[in-house]
Amino acid sequence: MTTYKVLSDNFAGKACGETVTAEELEGCSVEALIAGGHIEPSVKSTKKVEAE
Amino acid sequence: MAIYVNKDIQVKVNAVDLTAYVTNVEVVKAVDSVESTAMSTSATNGHTFVGGIQNNSVTITFNQDFAATKVHATLTGLVGTQTTVVVRPTSAVAGAGTNPDFTLTGALMSEYRPVQGAVGDLASVGAITFTGGLITETA
Repeated sequence: MTTYKVLSDNFAGKACGETVTAEELEGCSVEALIAGGHIEPSVKSTKKVEAE
Repeated sequence: MAIYVNKDIQVKVNAVDLTAYVTNVEVVKAVDSVESTAMSTSATNGHTFVGGIQNNSVTITFNQDFAATKVHATLTGLVGTQTTVVVRPTSAVAGAGTNPDFTLTGALMSEYRPVQGAVGDLASVGAITFTGGLITETA
């Protein structure tokens, strides 16, 4: 599922630093939110498994 | 809720709370009037209409702010796109029938005027209208 990190302090229902899902943004323009500096796509972290 | 004076109407545009910049807001629930007048032998004919498709809108006036994530940054990317606008009569907790959220979904913002006004005026974004879509009242 696509998620976004909230960057602004006036995003409805979410505080800065919290995560919002694409489902929660249904009906909204995600492009405008990104361009406006309100959210950014979350970067998935990958864990490397060290070979034994 | 008793009668009240507008002072803390809550406005969210594209999931962004812009309440602190709103100076005027109008929510219009409407349907088209479709004429259904037919031939009649009646001596006192009159037009008759039936309700057509919804023709809703929300019109908002903002004080302008070009700072990051504020009014301009939020609105400029919405020109020509559909979005959601939520208006609540007061800042109290939403409640069905007493303080409902009016949610307009699929509404188009076709025009945005980032700079307007005369010398000495407070900088504002005048009467942006979000048109079309469906309006619902939710608690």
